[in-house]
Amino acid sequence: MSQSDQAHSTRAGLEVGTKRLVFAYIVSATAWLVVGTAYGLIAAIKLYWPEAMEYSVLSFGRTRPIHTNVVLLGWSSMALMGVALYVISRSSKTSLYRPGFARAGLILWNICMVLTVITLSVGLTRGPQEYREILTPIMVLYAIGLLCNFYTAYQTIARRKVPEVYVSNWYIMGAFCWLATIVVIGYLPFYQNGMGNIVIQGYFMHNAVGMWFTPMVLGITYYALPRMLGKPIYSYALGVLAFWTAILFYTLIGAHHFIFSPVAWWIQTTAILFSVGMMVPVWAGFGNFFLTARGSWSRVRRDYAIIFLLVGVWGYALSSTQGTIEAFRSANIYWHFTNFTVGHSHLAMYGFVAFCIWGFVYGLIPKITGRGPSQAAIGFHFWLAFLGGSLYVVSISIAGILQGTSWVAGESFIASVDAAAPMWLWRSIGGFMMVFSHIVFLVNLWAMRPLPVPPASEMVEATA
Amino acid sequence: MSLHTQHNQLIGIAALLFLILSLVIAVLPAFEAERTPPLSGIEQLSDEAKRGRVLYLEEGCGYCHTQFVRDLPVDKPYGRGSVPGDYALEVPPLLGTQRTGPDLANVGVRQPSEIWNLIHLYNPRAVVGTSVMPSYPWFFDTKAAADEGDIVVPVPEAFKPDGQAVIAKQEAMDIVRYLQSLKQAEVE
Ligand code: HEM
Ligand code: HEM
Repeated sequence: MSQSDQAHSTRAGLEVGTKRLVFAYIVSATAWLVVGTAYGLIAAIKLYWPEAMEYSVLSFGRTRPIHTNVVLLGWSSMALMGVALYVISRSSKTSLYRPGFARAGLILWNICMVLTVITLSVGLTRGPQEYREILTPIMVLYAIGLLCNFYTAYQTIARRKVPEVYVSNWYIMGAFCWLATIVVIGYLPFYQNGMGNIVIQGYFMHNAVGMWFTPMVLGITYYALPRMLGKPIYSYALGVLAFWTAILFYTLIGAHHFIFSPVAWWIQTTAILFSVGMMVPVWAGFGNFFLTARGSWSRVRRDYAIIFLLVGVWGYALSSTQGTIEAFRSANIYWHFTNFTVGHSHLAMYGFVAFCIWGFVYGLIPKITGRGPSQAAIGFHFWLAFLGGSLYVVSISIAGILQGTSWVAGESFIASVDAAAPMWLWRSIGGFMMVFSHIVFLVNLWAMRPLPVPPASEMVEATA
Repeated sequence: MSLHTQHNQLIGIAALLFLILSLVIAVLPAFEAERTPPLSGIEQLSDEAKRGRVLYLEEGCGYCHTQFVRDLPVDKPYGRGSVPGDYALEVPPLLGTQRTGPDLANVGVRQPSEIWNLIHLYNPRAVVGTSVMPSYPWFFDTKAAADEGDIVVPVPEAFKPDGQAVIAKQEAMDIVRYLQSLKQAEVE
């Protein structure tokens, strides 16, 4: 860590309790990352070697939903909530209001994660409705935890010591409200028989990704990127434009998961049209970050935290553009139902969301705890995750293209399985590197832990 | 400019806008879609098949198998294009989004054989050499000799424990009955 960073870390002093809380969120999230991706690796290995680990609790149909729910809720969501608390407190220039609520939220979510793994392992599920598998009572607990967090977040922003609500907080507060809405709409039973369920399913799985993870990451990036580069964001107005257009367009495109389905045709067409519209907020956001980083390349090259974040920003542009193309009816014929979708979801949830989170953690946490891992250690994590993730995405996308081509050519079904199988091996190898990198991250995280502080300095006021 | 300083108005508008759009694009259409009547040719599931459907949910078969045929040439092998009336009685319906295995919307017609289905469930590779579908041995018993009334599954020698008989448990029968019930009804 350089001299100027050291100076920063004193100026950026957060209340000790807040530091600990933010760190506890990130440690929990990372533990779930290791668990969740280990499940992913088991599922991946089984597709290549179906005789492996033949136990009902580890069968493919059980491990897959455990993998998705643990990485989405345990890793991505918890990590983002933790970093968001930091950003809210810093950008509002005040300490967290009643952090006890956010702490209760963390405890509740960890309990819920354990319950989720247990119930899904034994087949207690609402069925293969992606990301709505978790039983209703457990989901109610998650929602309570979310609201606890939102209470702390909102009240802190309400008590800010600056007149303006910084744009990061627009996205973060929005994301909390939107997720709460999505969960309620997704779980209320009144309109969910037959095709009603499918209309809601498209809305739910799409918006959970687009109106929770995406705005959380973007919002935090509006704070973290300028801070890590030591210069202001390129255009504040562009961030505001992307905010409103995203609400307008993203909300309407859930049905693109069910193109050619019996879902009403007007809903599908709306979804396709606005999927194109999404290019406005996507490229506004990407362009804004890209132009902010321009001219700082000498700094970027020396700092793996910024490299993580910029790779994540690229992941955002690439995966979103890919998603728009997938929504077209002509492309959908080839790609829908294939592994191409799995490539897309990992390019997005890994290449975009996870890489940005790593950028935030490496870039921001050492500033508050005053210590961190060496660049070499961060670089080791980066290259493992980057090469492993790339191998995963490229191989599984090829698998998808091979499957789609085989089906369109009218071959027997098993021909598409045979064609994809070698790619499933490569995916597992990439996946192994990814899981290994997560263990490296856990070790690196330990090197950033807050020092135990004597009680006298407990109340360091936020000043910067 | 006032929005930039009024956190409550800002978040109120963002939340309300989202809620309204959600009602228009999801909740109201869902109410509408739910009212579709079932096709008149759809038969009620037997008790066995009902239990089989629950097992199908619990085992997560739906992560690899769709029950949703698109009205496209590429989907011809699986049956006719699915219509809303196909799903009117299903909670939750099992359209699915991924075909690691083939579509099963009409598998009761395509693959009606009880014996084939039992062997396949016990070990898919016994009937489809390069299948990557999981085996479900926990739905079967193995014992030295079958008793009266046992349903013996004629698993090829190479795929079963030496000298043992493979017996289908009730769960295996339930799943097979469910699969046999998957037949697309006539669209009137
Ligand atoms: C932060 C890391 C990760 C996240 C957020 C993540 C997220 C997801 C999501 C959202 C899906 C559902 C995909 C879809 O329905 O299209 C999925 C499926 C899957 N993931 Fe991951 N994943 C991560 C890492 C991994 C790793 C390291 C592996 C190891 C190989 C892995 C293996 C799988 C497998 C095998 C599936 C099932 C695909 C199928 O059904 O064929 N994932 N993951
Ligand atoms: C208990 C749950 C499951 C049931 C009842 C089931 C049922 C079936 C049936 C009836 C077929 C033959 C379809 C046909 O001939 O058209 C099949 C094929 C297939 N299934 Fe499954 N399946 C289940 C779970 C899974 C899972 C979890 C996977 C993915 C890992 C999978 C992958 C496959 C594949 C690749 C095929 C094509 C090759 C073959 O016929 O074995 N299945 N399945």
